[in-house]
Amino acid sequence: MGERMFVPLMLAPIFFFLIFFYGYPTLFNFYNSLTDLSLLGLKQGGAFIGLRNYVELLSSKDFYRVLWNTLFWLTAVSVALRIVLGLLLALLLNSATLRHYRLTTASRLVLLVPWATPPIVAVVVWRWLLDGRQGVINKALEGLGLIDTPIAFLANVDTIWPALITIIAWNTLPLVTLTFLAGLQSVPPELHEAAEMDGANAINRFFHVTLPHLMPTVVVMTLLLIFWTFNNFVYIWLATGAGPGLFTNVLATEIYIKGFIDFELGFSSAVGMVMAAMMAVFGILYFRFVALREFREIL
Amino acid sequence: MKKYVGPLITMLAVSTASATAAAQDINISFRFNDPESQEMRAALDQFEAENPGVKVELQTIAWGESRAQFLREAAVGEGPDVVHIAFVWPRDMGAAGALLPLNDFLDNQPIQNGFDDFIATELAVGADGNIYGVPWTTDTWAMVYRTDLLEQAGVTEIPGTWDALRDASRKIHEETGKVGFGFPAGSASSNTLWFLANYYWWSNGPALVVESDGGGFETGITVDQIVEAMQYYHSYLQEGHNPEAMLGVNSWFDPSILEGLTNGEQAIGIMPPQQFKQILASFEERNPGVEPPFVTATTPGGPEGPKTHLGGRMLGINSNTEHPEIAWKLVEFMTRQEVLVEYYGNQFPAQKTPLQSIEFGPALGGFAEQLTLARSWGAYSDGPAQIGSMWDDTGRAFGSAFIGEKSYEEAATELLQSVEDQLK
Repeated sequence: MGERMFVPLMLAPIFFFLIFFYGYPTLFNFYNSLTDLSLLGLKQGGAFIGLRNYVELLSSKDFYRVLWNTLFWLTAVSVALRIVLGLLLALLLNSATLRHYRLTTASRLVLLVPWATPPIVAVVVWRWLLDGRQGVINKALEGLGLIDTPIAFLANVDTIWPALITIIAWNTLPLVTLTFLAGLQSVPPELHEAAEMDGANAINRFFHVTLPHLMPTVVVMTLLLIFWTFNNFVYIWLATGAGPGLFTNVLATEIYIKGFIDFELGFSSAVGMVMAAMMAVFGILYFRFVALREFREIL
Repeated sequence: MKKYVGPLITMLAVSTASATAAAQDINISFRFNDPESQEMRAALDQFEAENPGVKVELQTIAWGESRAQFLREAAVGEGPDVVHIAFVWPRDMGAAGALLPLNDFLDNQPIQNGFDDFIATELAVGADGNIYGVPWTTDTWAMVYRTDLLEQAGVTEIPGTWDALRDASRKIHEETGKVGFGFPAGSASSNTLWFLANYYWWSNGPALVVESDGGGFETGITVDQIVEAMQYYHSYLQEGHNPEAMLGVNSWFDPSILEGLTNGEQAIGIMPPQQFKQILASFEERNPGVEPPFVTATTPGGPEGPKTHLGGRMLGINSNTEHPEIAWKLVEFMTRQEVLVEYYGNQFPAQKTPLQSIEFGPALGGFAEQLTLARSWGAYSDGPAQIGSMWDDTGRAFGSAFIGEKSYEEAATELLQSVEDQLK
């Protein structure tokens, strides 16, 4: 058996699991999306209604609001913020200044605290911190004389998305930072030394040495963050319940509302399929820029 | 070798006996949705003592998740044997095949003073005429006032109308700087705005769902009447005597309300009796020997007088249970007056005879009076629309109007349209 056959053979079991646990549920969900299945009629099953759920979904103006919330606020803004902040923090943690003051280990340990906090705990804690009546942040801002009246961070339309993104970033930033830190530590010091000898200053060295070396890590991290965030339900549901009104409703919470509050499982499945189709675009990008290259290296 | 044989045989005998005893144990599960899980465990211990060989596992879940969770489980042959459900759920759950019809048990093994002694039994009857639940406890919402803040603000009378309530709330905020009527105005699939909106509508005449002349169901309200209720509750937030932060509060039991009333940061609230008892207990713990400065009263009224819903919990038996007889025994045990008094004292029994014998006392006087004025959900639960879906739609519509995401008219029209669609 040649090596070219050996690798696919070794991968066969995982493909079996993928087909069984991902392929079959996806097809089953697609079938449900073509029915009027209700949570109250799970035992009986739903009646086939063709593409009616998709037509209703795509012709609803609320859907485009939900799409905007998901793509722009939840995904684009929060991912971009974490990539930028993660990179800055990684540079700080990798800096000679921290090493000089022997703060490297301590700062890395502190960084791990948010990552070790389960999302549900993080949201509950932040809800209390941001509370408009008893919240510590409002008390502190009032104490410092920065505000006269408390801000309802998770109820005011001007602050609700920034507050949600703060919670998401706080909880997940450490992973981004540590990944970038590992990337930074793999940059050969000779490259920096050579650039320095050629007269490059710190900014030039960052853009012409560090960033190009780190770019594959940035691409992978960005795509992974998009996957994890676009699908995320927990932060939004626990922090705002998709409200006030439907102001913070995203695709994941829409699936829950339609399926388990309105009991319209067929419609909810249609939302899920649309969401999966959008994720597939990012999946193709991931395959094109990351997985394919790795496959080629293996094969 | 011989010296080991005796102990070995003894050990084998003991383990075989234990295994036999374990095999004879009947294990059932009871899912409970209220906070009194410790007390309920004690009640189940008593049940186990009365029924040797029966073991009951106590499962707990939040009310918000319990309905969908049980329906999912029951559909695939799983779920607890006995389940704690809201008054308005048996009809739907019965139709879904999730609950066992209890008619045979009720015919052959009369429960307490008879099924007719229970209240709201019509809500336990499914569309097929079968009985799917036994009413367990009942309650309704009433107003709670902090007398010290009313006095400081110069409010001398308990408000009897919706306008008087708003005036009092405004005055308290202006005179004391405290929160007036602090109600949860969150719209995240909770029943908070749903209850408040219906109390306002019912006391003024309309109802979201009514029976039509032809025997079906229809909406019994206009867009203008919905808008009026939206504007009424929004005015509290706009005027600031209910803080904007309450737009993010989705629970009647939110700590900010409990704490606000306990420490005097909030003057007026609306709640079920168990929540008020919690507030009283917290106040007495923090201020030993001090007379609690609270009074309870009926909700404000319009032309139809004060109206709230007759709420409560029922017990149902999972249609998948392997031990229906034992499950029924547990239902019978749990509905005994002495069990309710000892282990679930924050709730009122949903039976006429024990309800009449309760001494509500002056602190709970408002709740006692409100119980006589409360109405059943009636057409709301008898019709084809899901109450959970209607309360989500109502909360979302009010929330969207409150934050300006939609105009009052747009939000009200969408709400009405959604309910009409569900009633078809």
